[in-house]
Amino acid sequence: MTVVWILFVSSVIVLPAAALLALRWAVRHGEFKNLQKTALSIFDEEEPVGRMTDRFPGPQRSSKSSQP
Amino acid sequence: MSATSPSILQALSPSDTEDVAQRRALLAEIDASCRGTLMLFFGAALVWLLIGTVFALIASWKMHSPDFLADIPWLTFGRVRPAHLNAVVFGFASEAAIAVTLWLICRLCRAPLMHGWVVNIAGVFWNIGVAIGIGGILAGHSTAIEWLEIPGYATPLLFVSYALIAIWGIITFRFRREKHLYVSQWYLLAALFWFPWLYSAAQILLIMEPVRGVVQATVNWWFAHNVLGLWFTPIGIGAIYYFIPKVLGIPVYKYSLSVIGFWSLALFYNWNGMHHLVGGPLPAWLITVSIVASVMMTIPVVTVGLNHHFTMWGSFHKLKDSPVLRFMVFGGMSYTVTSLHGVLLALRSVSEVTHFTHSTIAHAHQGMYAFFTMVMFGAIYYIVPRIIQVEWPSARLISIHFWASAIGIMLYIVPLIIGGTLQGVAMINPDVPFLDPNKYSVVTMTVPYLRVRSVSGFIILVGHLAFATSFIWIVARWIKAARQHQPTPIVSNV
Repeated sequence: MTVVWILFVSSVIVLPAAALLALRWAVRHGEFKNLQKTALSIFDEEEPVGRMTDRFPGPQRSSKSSQP
Repeated sequence: MSATSPSILQALSPSDTEDVAQRRALLAEIDASCRGTLMLFFGAALVWLLIGTVFALIASWKMHSPDFLADIPWLTFGRVRPAHLNAVVFGFASEAAIAVTLWLICRLCRAPLMHGWVVNIAGVFWNIGVAIGIGGILAGHSTAIEWLEIPGYATPLLFVSYALIAIWGIITFRFRREKHLYVSQWYLLAALFWFPWLYSAAQILLIMEPVRGVVQATVNWWFAHNVLGLWFTPIGIGAIYYFIPKVLGIPVYKYSLSVIGFWSLALFYNWNGMHHLVGGPLPAWLITVSIVASVMMTIPVVTVGLNHHFTMWGSFHKLKDSPVLRFMVFGGMSYTVTSLHGVLLALRSVSEVTHFTHSTIAHAHQGMYAFFTMVMFGAIYYIVPRIIQVEWPSARLISIHFWASAIGIMLYIVPLIIGGTLQGVAMINPDVPFLDPNKYSVVTMTVPYLRVRSVSGFIILVGHLAFATSFIWIVARWIKAARQHQPTPIVSNV
């Protein structure tokens, strides 16, 4: 039964505590500030906003609609 | 592994990270560091996908033609059906999820995968574990616990392999050069923590020190439901949050909604599962808690749905240009539909009719295939050309794959939801017999729907074969290019 109690304690105390710590870390490190800037973080000079980064292989099917 | 990677001990400390001046060179380094590992996982995932699809077809055919392969013990329904489930869940879906997670963590952290050989070894042992597990199920050693049928002698291999993979993902995260987290990282990292918790809790409570009675059913449903909601769902949503904006070149519509979506998923999802036992001998409050949590799941589902839809707003015409977008948008829309459908199914008045029917099977496939698998297909189509620097060989094959998968799964889900609901109505009607071949009965009324399911399975198989052909073809091109030391230039805008 020991292992079941370890599991119970970890599920009831450790996991919620870990979630709260993660939330605290996020607040302290400004993860919830300037959210729109974060939304842009997946773009860079090579793959900027406004450029599609995937197309069917081969000749372009619909160049008018797929060009940024 | 790049030549300049630090040792394993050095890798445990983030103080030794180096700045890389050229962002493009860094991206190339990241993709190169993941190449072998990801191709191993994607290749193995594809093999399990095909094996799992064949098992699915056999199981499906047996539902309306019980004599089919009935004299082969290891292909009886009780073995081949869990073999299908474990092949697609732990063979295909988990391996695709791990590979996509590792690549996204590396990309978003702007950090290469260090010492990828460790993950490769873990991947090999994971596959050995899945193979032993499925072999054990076919041999009759199943635990008979849904979603945990793999026999006990194979699970340690899976757990240790997974632990190594997750630790490597977290080490990569610690070495991140991009300090601010994108929402996908929240989802992916959370999934890496949640899965071992779910899996070990279920193993302890159901296999190692098994609980008895209704607690067993409770833990089983909690695990089966949460492995979808806290392992596959966050990875699927995290992938969509990256790939749709990235492919379109448009930032996500409202980033704040994504934050609300993540934390509400973390708060509400793990209470789910027991609503599947409405009418069972469980304490009423336990079922009610799950129903309430299911209804509360509307919050993350609506936030994610709004964000995906409005990010796509004005760009739907681009679906005809991008294969990745097609799969991602189909997966994203399916997530919204399946989740809201799940909320509906959790309600007592609805569940009393639909549970223990084929409607639940349709719902599970809506989540695992129409949502998650389609997202993984899209991610694979995006990632593979980048890591091996070779273009997909045939647009036609990709189109066949998409349409066969999309039409196939819709032909699976819709009739089975209708048939399952009618089955539920029949089951609670005392005037309808359970089995009578000469008149309307619970068993015979489902047969037409089950036949349609088999047809849909064949259509899905066609899609998977097109995908396999594409994958083998691109790997052959990659090997040929590597031999010539001259990568094939990628025509599309990657």
